[in-house]
Amino acid sequence: MSARTDALRVLLRIAFRNLAAARVRTAIIGAIVLGGAFLVVLGSSLMDSIDRGMRTSIQGSLGGQLQVYSAASKDPLELYGGLRGEPQLEPIEDFSRVKEVLSRVPNVKAVVPMGIDQAMVATGNVIDVALERLRADVRRLEEGDRSPEALRGYEARKAHVRRLVGLLRDELGQALAIVDLEGREAEERRREWADLTNAASDGFWAGFDGDRYGHLELLENRIARLSMDGSFTFIRYVGTDPDAFFRAFELAQVAKGEMIPKGHRGILVGKQYAEEWLKLKNARRLDLIKDARDRRGRRLADAKDEELQRWVRENQRGTKDILQQLDPLQAEEAARRLRAALGSEAAGEDLPALLARLFRVDDANFDARYRIFYDQLAPLLRLYLIDVGDTITIKAPAKSGYFNSVNVKVYGFIQFRQIERSGIAGMTSVLDLLSFRDLYGYMTKERAAEIARLKGAVGAKELAREDAEAALFGGGGPLEGRAATARIDERSLLEGARAPGPAQDPAARTYTQEELDRGVALNAALVLHDPAKLEATRRDVQAAADRAGLGLRVVDWHAASGVVGQFVTTLRIVLYVSLLVFFGVALVIVNNAMVMATLQRVTEIGTMRAIGAQRRFVLVMLLVETATVGLAFGLAGAALGGAAVWLVRAAGGIPATNDMLNFLFAGPALRPVLGGASVVVSLVIVVVVSVLSGLYPALLAMRVTPVEAMATED
Amino acid sequence: MSIVSIRNVSKDYMLGKTVVPALRGVSLEIEKGEFLSLAGPSGSGKTTLLNLVGCVDTPTAGTVVVDGRDTSRLSERALTELRLRTIGFIFQSFNLVQVLSVFQNVEFPLLLQGGLGRRERRDRVLALLDAVGIGSHARHRPSELSGGQRQRVAVARALVTRPALVLADEPTANLDSKTGANLIDLMKEMNRRDGTTFVFSTHDPKVMSHASAIVRIADGQLVGREAVGGDAAAAEGR
Repeated sequence: MSARTDALRVLLRIAFRNLAAARVRTAIIGAIVLGGAFLVVLGSSLMDSIDRGMRTSIQGSLGGQLQVYSAASKDPLELYGGLRGEPQLEPIEDFSRVKEVLSRVPNVKAVVPMGIDQAMVATGNVIDVALERLRADVRRLEEGDRSPEALRGYEARKAHVRRLVGLLRDELGQALAIVDLEGREAEERRREWADLTNAASDGFWAGFDGDRYGHLELLENRIARLSMDGSFTFIRYVGTDPDAFFRAFELAQVAKGEMIPKGHRGILVGKQYAEEWLKLKNARRLDLIKDARDRRGRRLADAKDEELQRWVRENQRGTKDILQQLDPLQAEEAARRLRAALGSEAAGEDLPALLARLFRVDDANFDARYRIFYDQLAPLLRLYLIDVGDTITIKAPAKSGYFNSVNVKVYGFIQFRQIERSGIAGMTSVLDLLSFRDLYGYMTKERAAEIARLKGAVGAKELAREDAEAALFGGGGPLEGRAATARIDERSLLEGARAPGPAQDPAARTYTQEELDRGVALNAALVLHDPAKLEATRRDVQAAADRAGLGLRVVDWHAASGVVGQFVTTLRIVLYVSLLVFFGVALVIVNNAMVMATLQRVTEIGTMRAIGAQRRFVLVMLLVETATVGLAFGLAGAALGGAAVWLVRAAGGIPATNDMLNFLFAGPALRPVLGGASVVVSLVIVVVVSVLSGLYPALLAMRVTPVEAMATED
Repeated sequence: MSIVSIRNVSKDYMLGKTVVPALRGVSLEIEKGEFLSLAGPSGSGKTTLLNLVGCVDTPTAGTVVVDGRDTSRLSERALTELRLRTIGFIFQSFNLVQVLSVFQNVEFPLLLQGGLGRRERRDRVLALLDAVGIGSHARHRPSELSGGQRQRVAVARALVTRPALVLADEPTANLDSKTGANLIDLMKEMNRRDGTTFVFSTHDPKVMSHASAIVRIADGQLVGREAVGGDAAAAEGR
């Protein structure tokens, strides 16, 4: 027994000393093994962390653990959109049935209805805003307020609108020069041009005070719509049960404003979307510069950082948006504030020069300028095209082919904790499901049944009326419709009051939970009590859905995430294939080195055999040697990998330099966690690879006969 | 009583497709306690005969009986076991394990055998190292020793298991004549002290003269066996 352990000890001793004796060989093999273990530990830790991040991002933002959608759908569900836009999903006709059946499956905590799509949203434009203010002034005057303050404001607003109309005329004059005036719409264009020329003329403004409402009407109805500037943008939304959504997705939070009140129509605009697409460009660029400096350590002094230089340049040049927003009074106030904040050098400068100076930033003054912008200037500006409190008009092509539109109130901005900056999660806005159904033109069961009944009995006349209504609402006179709506929006923003008339007030139209549930959804997210039992629950859910004849396809979050999920799978495959290649090469190199080493030791091995060592002893001796290298350097490599993981963590993680990474990392940086499993796995892999690569030479050595030890006579 | 009994042994080697006979019909009895020298020119078959006696090879025809066992009937495993228990080897080029110390080299066969405790092994190894005159070098590595010292370590390693038979193939070939003579003296002393049978091959007449008997081989055949006045020769060698 003790001799046996002593024999083992001598084996180890021989192994160690052989390794120490052949330093170069050991160093080469060791480096390979060490590198391998290092790569496995670091790679798998990063992968695991990305995987965790992904899971957090997807499960926490839209995915839940499972997703169900109609099995009749042509496309697979892609929560974050596919490469070819939104997938074509067949509707789930009656969500309440799905909810009822699936809620009873064990381990299912919540079933959240969803309808994800893109739509156009009217954002209003500068002229709309200015006209809105002017109308308020006009109303005050007409109501008898003749105070000097009111008059001054009125004149300033009037001057503002006049300047904007002038600018619009210049803009369109250029556009007109390149438009074919012989075309079908030539007459329309000519009339528009005549209107605009009239509105920009001295005569028009001289007569303004004579018929204020009349002139306003003309500006609002005929001129404002000519401004293409910022008239609409695209928005991606998930129509859902807002309460259920927030209960199910714990990462979701209202970043600004308030939650959509229960039973009300409304939208929570994606914060990240708002930042990127709705925010005043100058402010957005300042934010980007700040982020680059604060979190990425980039410097404005770095001339090679072209992106930063470009932002600074564009901010200095692109002050038009700010200038147009301000009426003369506000412009005066803005100039006064900037002069005070920017110091003596700025004393005699006008507003454009002051703005250019404000945005002429370097590393030394950036933080101060950033504060000046947000403290002094921003309160005078409208920072977001769509802001909390607005009522916006969303338009989307309905199933019928017509455009449907709904007016919804913006109750707030939504963001997802940890992945606030994610361009994928944060781009999605949350809309109430009923508005989604209106947009999509899906019919409730009752309506569908009624139409079917009517079709059977009378048919054509009633149906035609339905269609005509939809056509009128959705398709007829879109430009005028939008302009009028936008005007009302701005007033509700400015006055903090809702637009008059309950018929036009979307906030007044409420719905019950029953109405919400009983109707169409495109898919539903399932949140589980125990996410670990995902696959088992998926099968249970599928079985339950099949039993109830719901015709649903049940997929896990990973499959539902589409390209986003595939990206991680691809990453993992790349990692595994590279590791496989690495270890394949390592196997060959180590094997070669060990074969050479064994050939050099034929005499020694023969001697041992002659002295009385069994073949097994020789085999074990050589395997112990490679296993020792594997284990020793594997441990070192794993430790190094662990240290690298720790260092990366300590340094704040790998920064997510773009939206995709932010989403994958589930935060602004990937902070990898060293997995015990990855260390064990790496050790097992390198030891197995070492032993495998030592196996052939060991088998060779085993075949060495004791005769080899004998000196040949010749 | 014979420790080794060789009867009508032939050994052929295959060189490509040609059969090269190394030994042809050799018969030899080796008695316990003998200090036997195998003599003959290069290629005469000395090493082949030693290999057969040492159980590292088996004959093509005839029988080799070592310590009462017919080697041709033993498995590879059993042959290894027989070598471990019964035979000690001394090699022409010492063949020490370079990465082990002198002490560990000598201890090595004991570890292969198993059975002895650490203290017993230690005592036996150190006593033997003292006996062969390199007790003070126990901790050295073979590379730190001279050729003569290394061969003494090899002798100690061959003797440490107290084998019935020690085989030495040209043990002095890599030593200068004085050192070689000293080594033979040492082997002779061990032969006298423990009664261990020694069989060694050499073509050095001076070394031969120390033997108790000389077996001459030529062209794979035994050409004669002569007794030598071992003590006288030993005295002469000094």
